[in-house]
This record gives sequence, structure tokens and C-alpha cells, in this order.
Amino acid sequence: MLRRGLRNVNRYLLVFAIAVSLNFVLPRLMPGNPLALIAGVDVGLLTPAERAELIEQVGLNEPLLAQFFDYWKSVLTFDLGFSYRSGRSISELISERLPWTLLITLGSLLVASVIGIALGGLSAWRRGKKLDLSLLTGMISLQSLPSFWLGMLLISVFAVQLGWLPSFGAETPASGYEGWERVDDIIRHAILPIVTLTILSIPGAYLTMRYAMLEVLGSDFIRTARSKGASERRVLFGHVARNAIAPVVTFLAIRFAFAFGGSVIIETVFSYPGLGRLIFESVSGRDYPVMQAAFLVFTVAVLVANLFADMMYPVIDPRMRVR
Amino acid sequence: MSKRTSIPILLVSLLLLVAGCSDSDSDSTTTAAGGDTATTQAEGGDTETTQTDTAEPVVVRAAITGDEDTINPYTYVSGFPGWNLLMMQYDSLMQLDAAGEPQNWLAASVTASDDLTEWTVSLVEGAKWHDGTDLTIDDALFTFNYFIESATGRFSRDLRGVESVTINDAGELVFALGAPNPAFDLVALADIPILPAHVWESIENPGEATFDISTNVGSGPFKMTAYEQDQFYRFEANADYFRGAPAVDELVVVIFADDAGALAAIRSGEVDVGFERVSPEQIELLDAQDPLDVVQGPEFTTQMINIDVSKPPFDDLAVRQAVGLAIDRQDIVDTVYLGAATVGSPGWVHPDKTVYNPSVAPVHDVATANQLLDDAGYADSDGDGIREFNGQPMTFEYITNSSDSLRLRIAELTAEMLADIGIGTTVVSVETATWEEAVWPGFDINNGRNYEMATWGWSAPIQANTIRIAELVHSDPGIGFLNLTGFSDPEVDAIAEALQVEADPAAAAQLISDLQALIAELQPFVMLAYPDGAYVYNSDVYADWEFIAGQGIVSKLSLLPPGARP
Repeated sequence: MLRRGLRNVNRYLLVFAIAVSLNFVLPRLMPGNPLALIAGVDVGLLTPAERAELIEQVGLNEPLLAQFFDYWKSVLTFDLGFSYRSGRSISELISERLPWTLLITLGSLLVASVIGIALGGLSAWRRGKKLDLSLLTGMISLQSLPSFWLGMLLISVFAVQLGWLPSFGAETPASGYEGWERVDDIIRHAILPIVTLTILSIPGAYLTMRYAMLEVLGSDFIRTARSKGASERRVLFGHVARNAIAPVVTFLAIRFAFAFGGSVIIETVFSYPGLGRLIFESVSGRDYPVMQAAFLVFTVAVLVANLFADMMYPVIDPRMRVR
Repeated sequence: MSKRTSIPILLVSLLLLVAGCSDSDSDSTTTAAGGDTATTQAEGGDTETTQTDTAEPVVVRAAITGDEDTINPYTYVSGFPGWNLLMMQYDSLMQLDAAGEPQNWLAASVTASDDLTEWTVSLVEGAKWHDGTDLTIDDALFTFNYFIESATGRFSRDLRGVESVTINDAGELVFALGAPNPAFDLVALADIPILPAHVWESIENPGEATFDISTNVGSGPFKMTAYEQDQFYRFEANADYFRGAPAVDELVVVIFADDAGALAAIRSGEVDVGFERVSPEQIELLDAQDPLDVVQGPEFTTQMINIDVSKPPFDDLAVRQAVGLAIDRQDIVDTVYLGAATVGSPGWVHPDKTVYNPSVAPVHDVATANQLLDDAGYADSDGDGIREFNGQPMTFEYITNSSDSLRLRIAELTAEMLADIGIGTTVVSVETATWEEAVWPGFDINNGRNYEMATWGWSAPIQANTIRIAELVHSDPGIGFLNLTGFSDPEVDAIAEALQVEADPAAAAQLISDLQALIAELQPFVMLAYPDGAYVYNSDVYADWEFIAGQGIVSKLSLLPPGARP
């Protein structure tokens, strides 16, 4: 068991090394230039000497390989460096943004998985019935909604037409709210982004749960349980749901990891100051260090979540325990 | 940081706790969420009443798209509205009036020598910094020397021709220029913020320094009191402003990620004015909604087609002229801008400028264009509607930036116009940084060009100072550093060089006029239109917006009482 665990960790380290290296290469493969961001206004009006000086300041004149080693050194020493845009420490930027992102991504993940799992289970239980078919059609339509469109639609209805909820931001700007007033303000601002993200993530949870359940429902031991005379309720909760939960846990673990990447589109539509917005701003300005750091956080989260799911399997499902 | 982020962190932990407790219990969580929505409705009602109740201090909430960092002279990001927000906090010696002409501001008098190489400026009395200390001539002297020594940035560039800045016996500031500069008042005196020496003298390398807003001590009508990256700025009125207290007591600038979000917030009443231009199709819609109003007027931004004219077949004048004739500029103004633009002069200069040459009118003549191409030997031998050149079809990649839907429409419309003269185009819409990198690699024309045709536009300052026409067309990258199309013509070069050193305003105007005629004839680029500026504001909150010709409404003038404006 321990040896298997070690092998697993090795594999994860390899994936980590590849992902982190790609993380350096990909931003630099994008056409475009961070100079506009570094130099700020009227970058074209720089003389060649000024341009060279700026490039040297941020180390872009070094050979790519040297930049690559510097980058690995910074990854291994947890020193994420400084943003080209604001000159601020990136660890500080990320720790400022992450809570906002987690508030809306985890909020929606929670609601969406509860609703999705419940509906998915129900749907599978009533397989082929009218309820199942309408749910399935409904979910597939939901899944194909463009996220920015849904966000804009909700803004237009609930913020512009009805005026019930704020349309942008994480808080009322310069409100000076403190304590509960501020909590309330933050919750009101989070509702529309959470609702949008929830609507978009329900189908994933629903479909995973439905298929997992269907697979279990068709297996021999369910027939045995039924023929033993177990009640429907006992079959559903004691046998089917218990066995169907493993793929759902994987799904949730991955979704949990994705929460750390934020939602670029939703945070842009709602001008929400999370990690997704930070990624959006850094990609449009080619702020390489910030892009790298944001993707690094995301990569680590996905790997850790996978590792977690791997380790959870034996706990959930005794059949997966290796002797 | 800890204080600001503590509440979201708390909420997230709460969320995780709830998740842990009620993983399978769907009922309880749904009701909890339902409960939240109910309280929010009540809160929504509250906000609306507070909005209408704030009659006493005037608070204007403005929308911008994209963060501007800490908005000091070394950190602000965009020429518009970044510079305009900078100048809310600082003052320059001169200030543009509603007609776009520089007027005395911190300067009590500005005089230029006859040969325009020496400018003498005296200072007003009574101006103070936000921290209460007096603004003196020494601060002004410090500022100009500081920008000259620190070499990078817009304000250092404004001062490139300055040989020395000194204080004379009368206590006036004297600028000695290496060459005559008739626009020195416009490009330098009305552009450069005067800095407090006591704050900046300790900052040795401003290009590399990290700033927070404590550096933002200016003399302007507003003082920045809070900044949250990608969220908002808060400015408080400076009641002791030397021109009188501003008409607006507090300015909150909200940072949006995109225009659509800003527009929604204006329509929902969460924001009172948009600093970015409203797109033409929104003007009527917004104007019709009470209490929103739209103010509209001509501006100096430009819309054009850039073509790499260094490569065949566009190095052939006949092809360029045919392209120019094929474009129906009025159609672009009517169809794309719904009338909210001025038809582009093929000679570059806006018709509202005094140096505009009225003899260079745009001509739309498809028959002549086709005749020109026929005569030059570009025939359509295979009858597919596209002419050939060296056996290859004359089809070109035409790139535009995806973030600008108006440009995309212009590209599609002009592609159809070009099809009428047998020139094919493939319109490709790419992300902004990719488009910039193709047209202007590394923002340095020494890097060449990686495009065939592209939509393009210059910001207002390039049009506002008409002498800059030389920078667009001169073949030497040192002078023509904005010459993105690879254009080169000896006659144009000669006039552009003469223009750079011409001291006599009348003679300079004549040179600019000659250049316009040459540009219209030689077509280094295709000028299409000058889009109007249209800005939306909530007239219940504040209505005294001043439209500066060619600059829009975002300036300190708009927030000062009318009596304090120049």
C-alpha cells in the first residue's frame, strides 16, 4: 500500500513538472508583447534606448533558458515575483483575490452539486419515465448556454429591470460598510454570480450522478437485493447511491480544484475582483509573471484534488482497497 | 490586506462548514439559499431610497473599463481616461478650455519669444498642495527638471526639445528650447502635472519604484483617498482649491472589466456617468431612458485602414489610389456609426482643425478605381471577380481586433467595397494584443510589420497636435516613428522635416496643408472617419458636464463650478 502510494506521488511530481514547465512556455508562445503594460501610456513613443532599458528592468532581455531557470527557482522557493502591471507582489495579489473567487465558485459548487446529485439520482431512479426525459433534455439545454450570455441576461433582468440586486463587483465601492452591513453587502453582490455559476454547473453534477446510478442499477447485486425483498428506499440509499458515489466524488474533487482557477468569464461579466478577473487582465496585458502564478495555483489545486480523489476511493469503496 | 480580505475568507470558511454538515441533506441548504434571496430583496429596496436621499453632498460614481493603477504620473495606464484622472489630482501650468485651446491655469502669464525658442511663465498665487503646503515656483522648476532627468514616460517626452529650465530674476520660469516649438504650450505646458518637490525629491528612480496612494499629493480639485485594484478609486473634493471648491464633493470611479458591465450599471442607476464612449447604437436607447442623458460631439480619435505599402502590389500608387477611391466613407459613417462620426479627410487632418486643407475632399468613384487598376495591368483573367497580380489572386488578409465590434463592421463593410474593384480580402478578427503585435511589433517600427491590411486608429493627442502628422509618414524611424505602413516618399520626407523646425505658425500651417494634399494623393493609409464622442450621465445626480472639443467630458473642468472654468 505504501509503495503504491509512493508510486502515485512520483507520478504526480512528473505531471507537476510538465505542467509547470508548460506554464512558462505557453504565455510566451502567445503573440503580443508585455511592453505596452510595463511602459504604460504611449508605448510607441519610446525611443529605442528607453525601450531597451525597460526590457532590461524586467529581465526580458535575458535568454529564454535563463528566464526559464529563474522561473523554476521562483516556483520552488514559493517566490512568485512581482506583477509587470502594478509592481505589486503576486503572492499578495493572489491571496487578495482567492477568497473572492472561492466565495462564488465554492458557493455555486455547493448548491449545484446538491441540486445536481439529487436530480441525477431521481432521474436515474425513474429512468425512461417522463420526469427523467424532461430533466435530461432540460439539463442538456442548460449545459449549452453560453456563460457570458446567461450572466448578462441575469444582470439585465435582476439588476437593470427589477433593480433587486447589484450588477457588478464584490462590494459597493467606497461604501464604508462595516460588520454585518458589509457581510450583507458582500452576500448581495455574490448572489448573481453564484446563481449564474450554479445554473451552469448543475448539468455536470446531474449527468455524472445519473450515469453512475444507471450503471449500478443494472448490476447483479441490485437484482439480488430486490429479490431478497429489500425495500425500494433501502435499495436506493443502501446499495445504489452508496456504489454510485465514487465517480461523483471524483467529479466534485475536480470541480473543487477548478474553483481555484476562478471563472474568467463570469468574473469579467460581473466585474468581480477574483482570480479569474486577474487572469483576464494579465492575459490581455501579457503580464507573464501573474499569468504564470495564477496558472500555477490552478495546476497545484487540480493535482492535489486528483490525489485526494485517488486516496478517497479506497475509503468510499472497499473493493478498491489493495492488500 | 488582512482587514479587507478577512470577511470573504470568513464567508468561504462558513460555506465550507455548511458543505461539511449538509452534504446529503438537500432540503436544508436550499431553504438557506432561499432565505438569503429574501433578505436581499429587502436590502435592494433600501439602496434605492438611499440613492435618492443623498441630496446634500454631491457624490458622482463614474465607470471606467480597466484598472489605472495608483494614477500618479508614473503609474497611470491609459492616455484616456488615465491621464484625465491623473489631472483631477494635479494641475498643469495651462489647461485646455472648452474649445480645446490652452489657457493659463497655474500659470498667471505665458509668453513666447518671437522665434518660439524661449517660453517664460509666471505662477499664480495662493495654490496649495493637498497637504497644506504652498505650491511655489520651485516646485514647478523641480517638476520639469525631474521629468527631464528621469527620461522615461510621457512627460519626459513632452520636454525632449528643452535645453534648460531656470528661474529668472523676476521669479519666472524660463524654458530654453533647442528648436522653435509653436505647440509647446499645448504639448508640454497643458500636459505636464506639477509635482510637489517635498514628496518626489526622495524618489530617485520613479520608473522602478513601487507606489501606493500616499504619494498622490497634488494641487488639483480632487484628492485620492482609497484605491482597490480592479474595484474602485475614491476621490474627495479639495475644498481649498485655488480656483474654488469643486461642484462635486466626492468622485467614486468604479473599475469594470468590460463596457457591457459598465453600461448595465449606468442603466440600473448604480453608476452615474460613463467615462468611456458609448457606442453609436446605444445612444438613442440611453438618451430615451430617464434620467439618463447623452452628450455628443466631435473628437480627434481616428479610424483608418493600414496597408503594408512597402510590399507589392500596394507599393504601386495606382493600387493605393484605387483602394482610396473604392471606399465610400459616407456609407461607413451612416452604416457603422449611424451618423455619429465625421467623414474622414484623406489628408488625415480633422475638418475642425484650423490647419485643415479643404481642397482634399474624399472621393468615392468605383469606375475610376477599376479603370486605374485595368490601366496598371491588374486584370481578372480567370473571371472569378478577383484580379490577379503576378499570377496570384489579389486576395489579402485583413485583420481587426475582436474587442471592437465597430472595427469588425468597418472591416466587413470595406471588404465588400474592395470586392467591387476586384480586390479580395479575408477578414480575420484576433485578440487585441495579437492585432497590435502584427501591425506594430513590439511597438517599434524598426521591427517591421507582419500584416497585409488592418483596421487601425490613433488616439486623440496625435490628431490634436497637427504637427505630429510628420510622425505618421516620414520614412526615417527616428522622425516617422508612427509610420506603421512602411510608407516612404522623398517629397513627403522633405516637407515633414521642414515642418519640424518651422518657427512661423503661418508657414507651418502651409506645410501641414501641403502634406495633407500629398497624403491624400499618395495614400500611405486610408483615412475613414473621426468617430464622435458620446457620453452618458445621470442628470439627476450631476448635469454640468463640459464637452472639451476633441477630448470628451472627462476632465476636471466638468467637476468645477462653471465660474471656475477657463
